[in-house]
Amino acid sequence: MISIMFSLLLVPLFSAVLIFLIPNSRKEIFRPIGIAFSLITLTQCVYLLFGEFAKTEFTILSTFKWIQSYGINLHFGLSGMSTLLLLLSSLLVFVSLLSIGKDHSESKGFVGSLLILHFAINGVFISGDLISLFIFFEALLIPMYFLMGIWGGENRRYATIKFILYTVFGSVFIFIGTVYTAVLSFGVNGRLAVDFETLSSLSLLESQSKTLFLLFTFGFLIKVPIFPLHTWLPDAHVEAPTAGSIMLAGVLLKVGAYGILRVSIPFFTEGFLAYKNLIAILSVIGIIYGAVVAIAQIDIKKLIAYSSVSHMGFVMLGISAGGFLSIEGAIIQMINHGITAGALFMLVGFIYERRHTRKISDFGGVKISMPRYAAIFLFTSFASIGLPGLNGFVGEFMILMGSFNSYKILTSFAAFGVVLAAIYMLWAYQRMFTGPIKYEENESLSDLNSRETASIVPLVLLMLFIGIYPNYIESFVIQEASFLSDTIAMFKDLK
Amino acid sequence: MTTVSEILGINYIVIAPTLALLLTVIVLLFCTITVSTPMYVKKYVSFVGILLTLFTIFLKFGLFLTDGVSSYFMEKILLDEFALVGNLLVGIVLLFTFNSFWKTSELIDDKTTEALILILMSASGFLLMIDAENFIMLFIGLEIGSISLYALAGLNKGDQLSNEAALKYFLLGSLASCIFIYGIALVYASLSIIGVYETSIAISFIGPDNVPLTTFVGLILIIVGLLFKVAAAPFQAWAPDVYQGSPTGYVGYMATVAKVASFIVLARLVAVSLTFIIDQFDLFFGAVVILSVLAGALFAANQSDLKRLIAYSGVIQSGFILSGISSGVYGISASMFYLITYIIQLIGIFTVFSIISGQLSSDFQISNISGLFKENKFITITLSIFMLGLAGLPLTSGFVSKFILITNLWSYERYVLVTVLMLTTVAGFYFYLRPIWVAAIEKTENVVEKIQVKNSDKLLLGVLATLTIYFGLLPDTLVNITRWMVEGYL
Repeated sequence: MISIMFSLLLVPLFSAVLIFLIPNSRKEIFRPIGIAFSLITLTQCVYLLFGEFAKTEFTILSTFKWIQSYGINLHFGLSGMSTLLLLLSSLLVFVSLLSIGKDHSESKGFVGSLLILHFAINGVFISGDLISLFIFFEALLIPMYFLMGIWGGENRRYATIKFILYTVFGSVFIFIGTVYTAVLSFGVNGRLAVDFETLSSLSLLESQSKTLFLLFTFGFLIKVPIFPLHTWLPDAHVEAPTAGSIMLAGVLLKVGAYGILRVSIPFFTEGFLAYKNLIAILSVIGIIYGAVVAIAQIDIKKLIAYSSVSHMGFVMLGISAGGFLSIEGAIIQMINHGITAGALFMLVGFIYERRHTRKISDFGGVKISMPRYAAIFLFTSFASIGLPGLNGFVGEFMILMGSFNSYKILTSFAAFGVVLAAIYMLWAYQRMFTGPIKYEENESLSDLNSRETASIVPLVLLMLFIGIYPNYIESFVIQEASFLSDTIAMFKDLK
Repeated sequence: MTTVSEILGINYIVIAPTLALLLTVIVLLFCTITVSTPMYVKKYVSFVGILLTLFTIFLKFGLFLTDGVSSYFMEKILLDEFALVGNLLVGIVLLFTFNSFWKTSELIDDKTTEALILILMSASGFLLMIDAENFIMLFIGLEIGSISLYALAGLNKGDQLSNEAALKYFLLGSLASCIFIYGIALVYASLSIIGVYETSIAISFIGPDNVPLTTFVGLILIIVGLLFKVAAAPFQAWAPDVYQGSPTGYVGYMATVAKVASFIVLARLVAVSLTFIIDQFDLFFGAVVILSVLAGALFAANQSDLKRLIAYSGVIQSGFILSGISSGVYGISASMFYLITYIIQLIGIFTVFSIISGQLSSDFQISNISGLFKENKFITITLSIFMLGLAGLPLTSGFVSKFILITNLWSYERYVLVTVLMLTTVAGFYFYLRPIWVAAIEKTENVVEKIQVKNSDKLLLGVLATLTIYFGLLPDTLVNITRWMVEGYL
């Protein structure tokens, strides 16, 4: 199991190096190599799903001595939530490699950056201590900087710098939090031990716990992003290339929520109890605000970006409610949103490659020229709205049901987010796909080819599978969710 | 029976690196008076001189193993961990910058030998400064080193900026030297002592609470003289102009060697002389640190001249290093780690600059590297690694050095400093990523053409980039070395 865990790091890194070494004259093999290696990683993740750590809480499996005179070690481990997110990121890297157009797939830098991004994301999810978590969290920025900077849209410079500065600003707080925790741990253990096992036995004063919770959570919330820290997200999504958007919406946003679930809540629970109401209010504002702003968008990519703000608001509401059901729902919603938002961005990418516009008003009646595309788009929209029987419903329903006990009024407001989602998604669908064809350019659009279909179908199947049989995905997170909710309940009782 | 030389503490191995450099200088002088010495002879003479210096530094290590920390030449020269590491760093700086300054020296007609002599002389001065136990010795070393650097800045006589740089550097540097020697005089006047160790003994004798104000003023003036050399704000004004005006090939050497020597001396001063009264300098050091990082970040944000950008980034980095020096013994070791990783990145950056500029001209705008990546992949990648290292991104040594430093500051409860330093780090991402953007990402019409990079330059850049990443992934060795440096002062 340990060797598989490390190969999740080494295989993407190795494949990226391999691609950088291949001369540019053989540019047609960049994509096959990338796909082959991401398939290896995907298979390993599926194998992890059946392994012994797929349903447990976080277990540290391996330790490296890093700086011995300070007693800093690096730890790596696995848990149910990590396994699911690793699987999600591997799947998304695989399908985005399959889906990207020729000008991207034949670029060494693009495929290489995507694989380095994969390496860093995997690193985040197997990190067993604050320092390695921070290292990989920041390392994510390098490939994203190049992906957005080189292959982004027209306004990419502004969007990239904004994205980088927002994230770095957030990670400064995580950094200070890490340092503070390390120094506190030094007082108890005699060394700067910040691995998750040591931290869970570290007893903190209430004021320390509050400060640390604020430091870590602020950094992670920028990444989630929560209202009002979300403004980097629409810019980044609009300017990023398709594969970058898929990874950004699919996995990078989850890194923030993952950090809160992994670090902020279990170790600084008192802080969580003190500030959870604030987070819940902000998330509900985010749900409504994101949805309302999405309705008003004329750019389909920006619409989906704002819908991400709304959907991640559900995740944060579920987390802040802190019950078993709501946290379980939040984890499942993280996976679901990764699948649906990834699929939506991929679909937008397909039509952007054909028409080179993302304006909703430039389309209309596309259903006639691209029937298969329209069907898949509608299906994915339904999943995103949360139609029963599809994956979006499962997570949002669990979150709403789980949060209702703690926040009756807030949850009632949040439920409107589902209705608003139906408005913006279906209205956009109506304007883009139904009715007569308004512009000549849209008549000759070719439907999805077999490569594009192959890249979207796995995601569509997963939407259906999770929607019909949510028990399966739930079984991986039960332990972790119950551990988190128990911790929260215990601290509540202590109060 | 003890010989005279034993009483006087004469031991030539201790000053062997300085002597080796002076010997090289003398040989080079003879090269100029004989009519036609071929260029390559001068090159080999100076290179062999540098290797000899490095070798003698290892001899000093041997001496240290038998003698331990001790002073020689009637307590003028000191052999301790700081001196050893400082000597080694100066030697390494000479070795690593040799390619750049040789290339530039070759281009200066009739002055190749003078340039080499100036560089080696300044290195010998800084070595003496690092070894000095006695404040007068310290001053002599500082002056030998600095005066050569003033001349080096103005070596490109035809260039107006170069003249300006030399004059500014000379005038401001002389002023700093005045302040420095005035500080020595005040300390001597109040305590009648003139040595690094003597100061701490005298202070412990009269008691930290009874130290006269004159001594404080004197010590602060001495520190100010050193802070000028490392370009910490508010003594930073010369740095951007000097970096901009000096021939690009020399700046790498000029910037690193003065920083190494001054920081080592400063660290020793704090660890030894000020050890009993360091608490009373907190406010002074804190103010300098905050001013440095803020001024550096504000001015660096909108620089279009890359050398000025690096100069202001140097002001920030000096602030970072100083913050550790004033924060306990482990803070000093963290600062030394920071210093070593920083000079590696700095040498790398200036090596890249001197490869790109390729000529004597001092002008080096950010447009000089636009579209660099297209034809020159290797140097762009190494430049990006150094820039990310300066920014402090994880997986590079910059992150580890910042992490260790901030951890020490936090455990020393310097929360204000930590806040300011971390905010500067965010701002740093803005201007450290800009050269990468211009070189690798921005689509532009006039790309830099393919530059022939010598194999030795490639090797050097490869080594420096590897070190930057190596110390980011496996910093244990270097941390242990810097911990060893301060172990005696715990």
